[in-house]
Amino acid sequence: MSLMRIGAFLFSTLRLSTPLIFAALSAAICEKAGLFNMAAESMMLWGALIGVMVNGWTGSVWVGFLGACAAGVIVGLLIALATVKGKADLMLAQIAINLASTGGTIFMLYVVTGDKSTSAMTIQSGTLPKIMVPFKKVPIIGPMLNKQNILTYGAILAAIILMIFIKRSRTGVHIRAVGENPNAAESVGISVSKTYFLTWAISGLLGGIGGAFMSMAYTSAFTKNMVAGRGYIGLCASSMVAGNPIGAMLCAIVFGVADAVANQLQLTNAPVDLVMMIPYVVTIVVLIIISIIKMSAHARKIKSKAQEA
Amino acid sequence: MNKTKRIENTFDIVRILIAIAVAYLIALIILALISDDPLNVIGLFIGGPFSSKKHIGDIFTRMIPLIFTGVCMCFVYAINKFNLAGEGAVNLGGCLAACVAIALKETGVPGWICIILCIAVGALAGMLANAIPAVADQAFHADVCVISLMLNYILLYFTTFILKNVIKDQGAAVTASYKLGNKVKLPKLIPGTTIHIGLIIAIACVIFVAILFYKMPFGYKMRAVGINPTFAKYIGIPVTSTIILAQVIGGAFAGMGGAVQILGMFPRYKWESLTNYGFDGLMIAVLARKNPILVPVSAFLIAYIRNGADLVATKTQIPPEFVSIIQGIIIVLVAAEMFLSGWKKKLIFNAARKDLKEKEAKA
Repeated sequence: MSLMRIGAFLFSTLRLSTPLIFAALSAAICEKAGLFNMAAESMMLWGALIGVMVNGWTGSVWVGFLGACAAGVIVGLLIALATVKGKADLMLAQIAINLASTGGTIFMLYVVTGDKSTSAMTIQSGTLPKIMVPFKKVPIIGPMLNKQNILTYGAILAAIILMIFIKRSRTGVHIRAVGENPNAAESVGISVSKTYFLTWAISGLLGGIGGAFMSMAYTSAFTKNMVAGRGYIGLCASSMVAGNPIGAMLCAIVFGVADAVANQLQLTNAPVDLVMMIPYVVTIVVLIIISIIKMSAHARKIKSKAQEA
Repeated sequence: MNKTKRIENTFDIVRILIAIAVAYLIALIILALISDDPLNVIGLFIGGPFSSKKHIGDIFTRMIPLIFTGVCMCFVYAINKFNLAGEGAVNLGGCLAACVAIALKETGVPGWICIILCIAVGALAGMLANAIPAVADQAFHADVCVISLMLNYILLYFTTFILKNVIKDQGAAVTASYKLGNKVKLPKLIPGTTIHIGLIIAIACVIFVAILFYKMPFGYKMRAVGINPTFAKYIGIPVTSTIILAQVIGGAFAGMGGAVQILGMFPRYKWESLTNYGFDGLMIAVLARKNPILVPVSAFLIAYIRNGADLVATKTQIPPEFVSIIQGIIIVLVAAEMFLSGWKKKLIFNAARKDLKEKEAKA
């Protein structure tokens, strides 16, 4: 494989990883708060649709991007409303939202445009700018980074910011405290329900940006079911590393690599379906290995405590 | 049964009915707002599914896979483990049943044995699919929901691999398997409709599961584990094996559902994406309040609403997906404990006060 092709491959890996990173971060912040985010799928779908619509109305890509963020946040807050205020089961509420979003986005697209599958013909929308790098002649790194969408950089930046936010900021500590033990957090004066609302809002924001990438960078239109399970992959990426944002990003990139490999193999005679299976198999194996390590560590702890006593 | 319990039970049913009514009303309002001819469209949505023998038959046909996955999810939901592998189990069951059907097509094996074999293989496939997350959860404490979501994609790609590389008919215009053959085609139940014998199988499964749930020790153990695993452990119920077994049995029904759907409805196997029957099944189990006897009722309701939406879609441009909004609203309202909880408390409070007064009057 020539250097040129390696660069092109890495380029497509980063590009395919971007929505997965946002989904993974969206799940990661929830995981830190002890929540379980299956609804990144919905956040992304609504983000993708509303982003395109607002972009079409206002003619500005960035206003559209803000619309996508707002849509994601609203989905997040809806989940918080149903589970915190309405005391609905978290899993059921999210499955319901996912169900309603798959159909709801198609329905909304129809109501607004009259088209049932894509906004490409009916809404004039653009894409977010690409970033040209000055060192595009450098082998591998040049073609890998040149013309990458601004949101790809945004994804990496978001992971770092989220890491600092969770580790260092006051609110981040509150979120982790609630995640560790909501009752204990409540007893020291942290409002658990407020924290949940905030967590869902941030999670929704990240999911919405991921959606914006799908419809305003990866492609330039909304297509039905365009998220296609990326939210779930994000959830898995995050649960592999127990919600650590940087780790979640790296895991998401691993999934991106698998996607890129599958894309490459689609051009050859290789069994694409088996290649597509690999990242999921790897996730399950890694999840089980991590669980075993955690279990044995826990058992050792109990044993040593028992010996001390 | 004491009075509070009775009020709670009646109230639960009333609450579900109200949730359905609210969601249905929202759907009607949406339809009225967006269509040019609201009266006709609403008429079609409400009355269309009952307008002819064929249409009524379609409701029952649509119920069949939903009953199977609904029953599967009753198990999963009853033990409070969100094992969603039932979704992939439908694909795997359907695919392997198709393989068996194709393998036996040219042999002299009589048709009914082929059908039984196909469905049995489907059931086994479903059990296997559900067993993986169940064991990973119980043996290693890996999250059952994440594992099952991943497994669904593995099963999907595995089945598309088999479809494209093992049973693909090169002569067919689209990606599809060889013809399954008339031998395994499930016979029609009522002429002039699409209802096939799968409906009988589904109802038989519901009856079997209802007996298992409410008349056999395993069902009692399972429900006890679902309500309070710690308590169940202390009264000597083998919690781990009960949890795994419940999920495995449930998986069998999802796999059977896939096999029955393929044998009953399609001349060739051609599923290239997840069918969503599994998630529908979870919704049906929620509506049925984990009670297998009510699964056909809620499956009928969902099939009716969907067929109404499909009919609207054939006559107008309105996409049938709008019903998924109703389904979402129904689940959220049913799942939200706070929905109408004030009213429930009032009812229980009043009943208690009445009791007290009666006792005082007697004294």
